[in-house]
Amino acid sequence: MDAWKKEELAAAGINVEDALGRFMGNEMLLNRFLKKFLDDTNYGKLSQAMEAKDTEGAIAASHTLKGVSGNLSMTRLHELLTSQVAALRAGDWEAASALMPEISQAYDAVVAAIQRSA
Amino acid sequence: MEETPVRKTEHGIPECMLIIDDDEINRGILDNIFSPFYTIEEAENGKIGLEKLLARTEDYSAVLLDVMMPVMDGMEVLRHLKERQLLDKIPVFLITAEASVDTMREAYQMGVMDVISKPVVPFVVQRRVNSVVELFRARKRLGNVVERQQSELLLQAQKINELNQGMLETLSAAIEFRDVESGEHVRRIHDITSYLLLHTPLGEGFDEEEIEQIALASIMHDVGKIAIPDAILNKPGRLTPEEFEIMKTHTIEGAHLLERIPQLRENGAYHYAYDIARHHHERWDGRGYPDGLKGDEITIWAQVVSLADVYDALSSKRVYKDAFTRERVVAMIKNGECGVFNPRLLECFFTVEKDLAVMYEKEA
Repeated sequence: MDAWKKEELAAAGINVEDALGRFMGNEMLLNRFLKKFLDDTNYGKLSQAMEAKDTEGAIAASHTLKGVSGNLSMTRLHELLTSQVAALRAGDWEAASALMPEISQAYDAVVAAIQRSA
Repeated sequence: MEETPVRKTEHGIPECMLIIDDDEINRGILDNIFSPFYTIEEAENGKIGLEKLLARTEDYSAVLLDVMMPVMDGMEVLRHLKERQLLDKIPVFLITAEASVDTMREAYQMGVMDVISKPVVPFVVQRRVNSVVELFRARKRLGNVVERQQSELLLQAQKINELNQGMLETLSAAIEFRDVESGEHVRRIHDITSYLLLHTPLGEGFDEEEIEQIALASIMHDVGKIAIPDAILNKPGRLTPEEFEIMKTHTIEGAHLLERIPQLRENGAYHYAYDIARHHHERWDGRGYPDGLKGDEITIWAQVVSLADVYDALSSKRVYKDAFTRERVVAMIKNGECGVFNPRLLECFFTVEKDLAVMYEKEA
């Protein structure tokens, strides 16, 4: 992977080395899944569920997105979603809701970096 | 990372791993980690995974199972597998992002081999999964070996039994030869005894194995004759009273002889053999020898062999006599010319006598 791409992704909160380790150095596979992340519908589902105050829907979407972001080593996004899932499970809607602006910001940054580099 | 070729089963088919996870990236990561070792199959929820597992149980060497999934979650899959006792046969690994202590405890109690947290660390998950699969493989191999050894042992036990019987027959026949009778005599006593017990109510209360033991024991009824001097044993004419007293001791001598073979005493046929050797000349009216037992004091097996012995002696040619005709034999037994027998024994005997007579037809 080109150095500038790595820097681009790193700036958006993606630990590329860590992700490559998980894919056992298989760059093609990592690239494929990074591109697929652009089609992932869970962020949209999460936003809708938060607006509709749908706890179950929010947990499902936030949990799935957390898993995906963890696997792709989107460190910042993964940390935020981990907190949100914990808050939602604990029934703390306020806290979960308060995390949304930061989550959106981290998500947009990741999407933009992938679009530029992949 | 060490390179190991795809694992093959005994039949040369690559071993199969099933990855059950709703997240495509997770499946891709695990597939990438394990494809050097296994043929990978994927299922996107618990229901599809379970169906695959139940359809081809024997084909899977390992299952990687996610917990949170739509349609059917991982814990539900585990419950189904436990119910069918498949968790003992296929190692199942729970791969989960949030394993609460309660979930882990429940999973381990049901029988998962390991709980591995997501995101996975490739070399860790690879090592943990492959070690357990290797263990299962070794256990299965060992199980096969034990199974094979057990059937070999059974076969050997059977051979030893056959050898035992062969030696007993040979010994008995050798003794009968001295008595100038053929080895056919002991063979027929065996068959008549066995036939009477298997095909008449006389055998009630005995299972097939016991009947075979009694039949085997009947072969040895005259082993005591080895202790009788040739001059008496093979005397063509009538025995003097003194000679007859000596002749009668073949019953007690036979029982003593059998008693002195330690290996025989451990055989199931021993207590029949001892009793038959000692009591096959007792009579229903109490006038037999050596103990003068009367009626039911004589065991049914000794009574059966006693009658079989008389029937065979009358029906076959001996040095001192020709074979009697079948009608004459039946008449002599009915009239009590050759001893007094239990009426019930005679009744049973006559119901199947026509089947026994077939044995002598070729001689006539």
